[in-house]
Order: sequence, then C-alpha cells, then structure tokens
Amino acid sequence: MRSSKRAPGTTSDRHELVEELNRLMAEETEACLRYFQMRFRLRETDYAAAQAFFEDAIKETMDHATTIAEQIRSLGHIPTLRVKLALGGSAIRLKDALAEALDVEQQALEAYKDLLPRVAGDPVLEPFIQRQVEIETEHVEEIRAFLRTKGIVKLVRDEEVI
Amino acid sequence: METWKEFEANELTHSAAHHLLAIHEVGAAYGGWARVSDIARRLNITRGSVSINLRALKKKGWVQSDEHHLVKLSPKGLRVVHSVMAKRVIVKTFLCDVLGVSEEQAEIDSCKIEHLISHSTGERLVQFLQFLTSGAPVSRQLLKQFRMFHTACPENRTCDVCKGHCLIDELKHAI
Repeated sequence: MRSSKRAPGTTSDRHELVEELNRLMAEETEACLRYFQMRFRLRETDYAAAQAFFEDAIKETMDHATTIAEQIRSLGHIPTLRVKLALGGSAIRLKDALAEALDVEQQALEAYKDLLPRVAGDPVLEPFIQRQVEIETEHVEEIRAFLRTKGIVKLVRDEEVI
Repeated sequence: METWKEFEANELTHSAAHHLLAIHEVGAAYGGWARVSDIARRLNITRGSVSINLRALKKKGWVQSDEHHLVKLSPKGLRVVHSVMAKRVIVKTFLCDVLGVSEEQAEIDSCKIEHLISHSTGERLVQFLQFLTSGAPVSRQLLKQFRMFHTACPENRTCDVCKGHCLIDELKHAI
C-alpha cells in the first residue's frame, strides 16, 4: 500500500530523495560549524561588529538542519549526517569571513534550488523547499548587504590605519 | 626541516590534489568545466566545503571560474594534475610490476602517496622501472630473482635491512 501521496513514488526515488535531504542537512550543519569557528578568527573589533551576525547564522543554520532532519524522519528514515571537517586557519578580516560565508550560503541556496523540481507535487516537501529557497535567497542578500556596508567600511578603515 | 613538517608544508595537499583531479574528471565531458555540485558528489563532501576549498586553489592560480560558478583547471592546474597522475602511474607500476603488490592495493597506496613524492624521486623511479624493463640480461635476471625471493626472516630476527629490530614483525603488529 502506498503510504501517502508524497512524491516521488518508487523506493529508489524515495531513497535518492532522502540522500538529497541528508546532503542538505550536512550543508546546513557544516555551515553552522564554520560560523561557530570562523567568528573566533576575527580580530577584536571585527569580532564585536559581527557577533550578532554570526550568532544569528549559527542559530539559523542549526534550525534548518533540524527541520530537514525532521522531514527525513517524516519520510520514515533516520537522518544520516556525513560531515568531514577540520577547521583551523589564521586570523581573517571581516570582509574575507563574509566572503566565505557568502560562498557557503550561495551553495546552500543552489542545493535547495536543484532539489525543488524533484519534490514538485509533494504537499509537504515542495512548500518546505520553496520556503527554504526564499529564506536562503534573503540570507544571501543579507550577507551581500552586510559585505557592502560593514565589510567595505572595515576594509577602508583598516587601510586608513595602515 | 624535519620530515613530518615537510609533509605538512607540502604545497599540494592531499585535499587539493583530489579537488584538482575531481575537476579534471568531472569536467572531461564538458570542455573542462565542472559544477561545484558534481565535484562535491564526486568527493563525497558538501558543496560548501568544495566552495571554500576552491578559494585556495584559485588563489594559487590552479583553478578559474566563470560567472555561472562553473570551475575549470587553469593551464597551471592542468600541469599539476598531469604531474599527480603521472606519479600515480609510476608508483602503481612500481608496486604492481616490481614488488608484486595486488593491483587493488597498489591503486589505494599509489593514490595515498601520488602527490607526496618529489619530482626527483618520481624521475628516479621511472629510470629504475626503465632499467628493470629494458630487457637487458642483468635486469631480467634481477627481476626474476626478486620474484622468487621469498625468504623467511632469520631466527635471531636480525638482518642487514632491519639491523636488530625486525621491520616485518613491526608491520604485522600494525592495526
């Protein structure tokens, strides 16, 4: 018996969909860990300037990962988290940290966009992924705006100091 | 510099080598251009990680990107890939054809060290392989004798190679 009207229908399609969701969950979890560590690479003034940004980003990415994990569970699977990460590096400027954050968010956005056609018609997943695309688009724009203001202002000020 | 520090300071890290090889393989069917998502899938890591790692490769001038976020090896990056692939073949050939290691194990081991050996060591290995396969009687004889050389370690566990501390025993105790 088909358990629901949720797409896609075949077992292999469903398995592949769960794998895609696992990958998305890994993107979000990894982003969360990156933000967690990245803020400590900022110099003192940058650290203070970006503290709220990073706290929000950590919370938001972990919320997204949790929501995806719940979606996987609702499909009858246990979430599988594959994260290969060792984070280090030297001190960085806010501008560079934000550029890295932008890369990560842009990739998450692309991943959600790629998944959207595959969940078309699913009453739960389609609106969920659609919403995630909207949220990630906003987030990318926020970082771009932050980069335009804080990042550049900081860079100019740093150069002036030099 | 101590050897382990040299390992860390290697300009081409294991991760970078695999990213470059993945771009080369994924992009082969698309004029060299590869998508971040395909590279991530190939390496079984996240797109975010690939994206961050690509920044370092771009900085070194090994990779270039276009306005659609597609990436391609630069001529310099392509030379690095060819060098890594050549070293892989050299090491694998040495392991398989000279030492008699199984092809499967040789593939794994050559993958692990392909980017770590120096060009000079690679060159000497090629010359050694050329010597062994040259068909000269002395080469044929050497290879033949080595393949038949399956001697047991001496009772006292010492020989000219191990110098009092049996290396074969140490290998057996490895995890």
